[in-house]
Amino acid sequence: MNGLSRRDVLRLGAYAAAGATGLGSLTACGAVPPKPDPNAPQKRGGVLSHGATGGGLKDTLDPHSPVTNPDIARCRNLYEPLLAWDEDYKIQPALAKAVTPNKDATVWTVELRDDVVFHNGKTMTADDVLSTLARVADPKAPTSGGVELSGILDLKNARARGPYVVELPLSSPYAVLDQLLAEYTVGIIPADFDVANPVGTGAFKYDTFQPGLQSSFLRHDDYWGDPAWVDELLIFDFADDSAKVNALLAGQVQSVDNLPSYLVDSISDQGSSALISETGAWVPFTMRVDVAPFKDNRVRQALRLIADRQQMIDQALNGYGFLGNDLYSPFDPAYAKDLPQREQDLDKAKSLLKQAGQSDLQVELVTSTAVGAGGVESANLFVDHAREAGVDVRLTKADPNTFYGERYLSWPFAQDFWNTRNYIPQVAVCAQKGATYNETHFDDPDFNDLIATARQETDEAKRNQLLQDAQEIEYDTGGYIIWGFKRQVDGYSNLVQGFVPHRYMPCTSFEFRRVSFV
Amino acid sequence: MTDAATVKPMGAGPRVRSAPAAWTLWLARRLGLAVLTLWLTSVLVFLATTALGDPVKAILGKSAETSPARAEQIRAQLNLDDSIFERYAHWLGGLLTGDLGTSVANQQPVSELLGDRVINSGVLVLIAAVVMIPIAFGVALICANARGRRTDQAIQLVLLTLAGLPEFVIGILLVAVFSTTLLHILPAVTISAGGESPWQNPASMILPVATLVLAVAPYIIRIVRSTLLEVLDSDYVELARLKGVPERVVLRKHALLNAIVPGIQVIALQLAWLAGGVVIVEYLFSYPGVGASLVDSVRNSDIPMVQALAMIIAAVYVVVNLVADVLSILFTPRARTAIGS
Repeated sequence: MNGLSRRDVLRLGAYAAAGATGLGSLTACGAVPPKPDPNAPQKRGGVLSHGATGGGLKDTLDPHSPVTNPDIARCRNLYEPLLAWDEDYKIQPALAKAVTPNKDATVWTVELRDDVVFHNGKTMTADDVLSTLARVADPKAPTSGGVELSGILDLKNARARGPYVVELPLSSPYAVLDQLLAEYTVGIIPADFDVANPVGTGAFKYDTFQPGLQSSFLRHDDYWGDPAWVDELLIFDFADDSAKVNALLAGQVQSVDNLPSYLVDSISDQGSSALISETGAWVPFTMRVDVAPFKDNRVRQALRLIADRQQMIDQALNGYGFLGNDLYSPFDPAYAKDLPQREQDLDKAKSLLKQAGQSDLQVELVTSTAVGAGGVESANLFVDHAREAGVDVRLTKADPNTFYGERYLSWPFAQDFWNTRNYIPQVAVCAQKGATYNETHFDDPDFNDLIATARQETDEAKRNQLLQDAQEIEYDTGGYIIWGFKRQVDGYSNLVQGFVPHRYMPCTSFEFRRVSFV
Repeated sequence: MTDAATVKPMGAGPRVRSAPAAWTLWLARRLGLAVLTLWLTSVLVFLATTALGDPVKAILGKSAETSPARAEQIRAQLNLDDSIFERYAHWLGGLLTGDLGTSVANQQPVSELLGDRVINSGVLVLIAAVVMIPIAFGVALICANARGRRTDQAIQLVLLTLAGLPEFVIGILLVAVFSTTLLHILPAVTISAGGESPWQNPASMILPVATLVLAVAPYIIRIVRSTLLEVLDSDYVELARLKGVPERVVLRKHALLNAIVPGIQVIALQLAWLAGGVVIVEYLFSYPGVGASLVDSVRNSDIPMVQALAMIIAAVYVVVNLVADVLSILFTPRARTAIGS
């Protein structure tokens, strides 16, 4: 193995410190590596170590049912979907050169690259794609990435038209199938896949795996795209934030995801940099539109006007966020950005509550640490804001098991968390009739019709108009208070280069093939 | 727990047993008590882990609704359709035959998942004990020797400060000084490539061991020191001094021997505490031990894992205390003769 190994990097820190002490200084301040020159050419070799947040005995290498954060990082490097989300959250070709619908979006044609080689040396063909989709979208037991696909794909009639072309008929028209096929949970695997020997097409191939501890991967030399710069990739699980950051600062790992945002400034003094990306992740308040007092839209409107959104971003997210307008999917081309930004208006909120006969409103808000960073903090702020409007909000902090236990999806007023998704796939899981996680119990016939029509509309301009009309309904009568979207904060060592902000996933979407040592 | 103290000379006992028989009887009684303690613990652990609502909901959380097949599998795996007595009998039978069950989170045998971690934690605690015991006795001797003088006062101040600091603060300070902020000479965490055990990279063990030693030693030093002082003030030491025995010999030969028993007791308590209490140190250094997996398993509601870990930690408590009691008796001439006569 040539280039810089993990041990060398450790030693680098060690002799830097030794050098500093040798000169009679106690500190190693002068020894921290400076930020690399962004124009310096990347070079080959070395072992890249990544510190992943969380993980545990639930860890798995299953490409289609990742459970923990380290699972996602592994998945992104072992397996690849047909299409890929780029830095701007736009769809790009990947294993497929093109994925195109027919005129009424009832049959989609997938044109595969002919130069994609699995880790075991086999060339990827249409059969592999068909068997992957059969596993992901099994109507009886769809995997986590296949719940939506299983409702649309007509797998019985799907077929290969030649070795590199797949024809996918749908059971109902769906104009944005490409968005579902770009998800990392639909990684293509060979027909004879066995999770004990995980084979994919990713830039790294499997070497070792210990649930809750670590995994290692080697560069896939026959990769169809730009191959990885480093020879080996290690992913370590970290249950504790300070251990994770200490490992970064001590040079034992070169990148960490989900850096606590209060550390952004201090790590930059110690040879590391923060990587800050926009995301479409949101931590909404959820009001059930079918039970009192939220049944009355004036109450929902009032509570939406009570939230001081900017303060929530500044305090609950330490400033790492941007304003929300009670709508989701901010990166969708159809995002209704022209609707007026809702701001705190306590007088209007009070008068709406008075009209609704709820001047002395008392409600219980259920939260939990399980909704992630910014959740409990924003709930506390909301209690304060509500008090100013004369609304008594009682905060209940449920432990994660209770929160996502039997009463999940039936709390009248609670919180939840969602990651970046475009509008139609997001609606399918949270807002339309029959959606699995419809926390607000939103069920508006006009809204459902608009979505159903838009799903079939292949003309993008027409489809976007339909979706904007649907968003206007949610903006006026929905049950969510969406005060902001999170920015993703990760950290990486100045000894490596190649990390760039990415909207899809942390750490440049975990695309470690793009990273090299300086 | 401190049986040694309760064993009193049996004054006018009518029956006289032979020494080996008496020892066997004493050990048997003590082992019996240990087994009883463990059995009661097993009942408590079982009740505590089964009385907490529907485990299937707890385990599956957000996805309980969408995966009925998985729910059914967990019901079967935990024998949830049996009565609570059947489940307990089944579990206890497994424990006795070394079958700890199957992890719900991972679908692998609990014993397989825990084997390495039990060893890792054991090695960590063992090294900490080996480092700590001579240091503790040595420092206590220095303090007792310099009683009331500046050295003693300075050491007492440091010990009180350390005793007041939670171990994670000690650990964070050590990491900042030796790994991240001030110097870069030691690894900050015990991660290692290829799944090697942490002690195969000895440098990475230094800070976890140092943290445990600094967190636990102050208690032991203070107890040993006060026992030493007590002995130094006693009549027989005074007599020894009058006879002209040098102070240093008095301290080593008379005082130290007498301080060993209270020392053993407090070391046992601290070691037993470490068995369950290393969790913070394991978290801070990403050390692959039982403490961290107990937290992980509780979070996953992985009932078989939680049950097994609770029983392992309870067994360590019982065994450490048993060993401490035996050692205490061996080191206490009065108690030794009481049993033997």
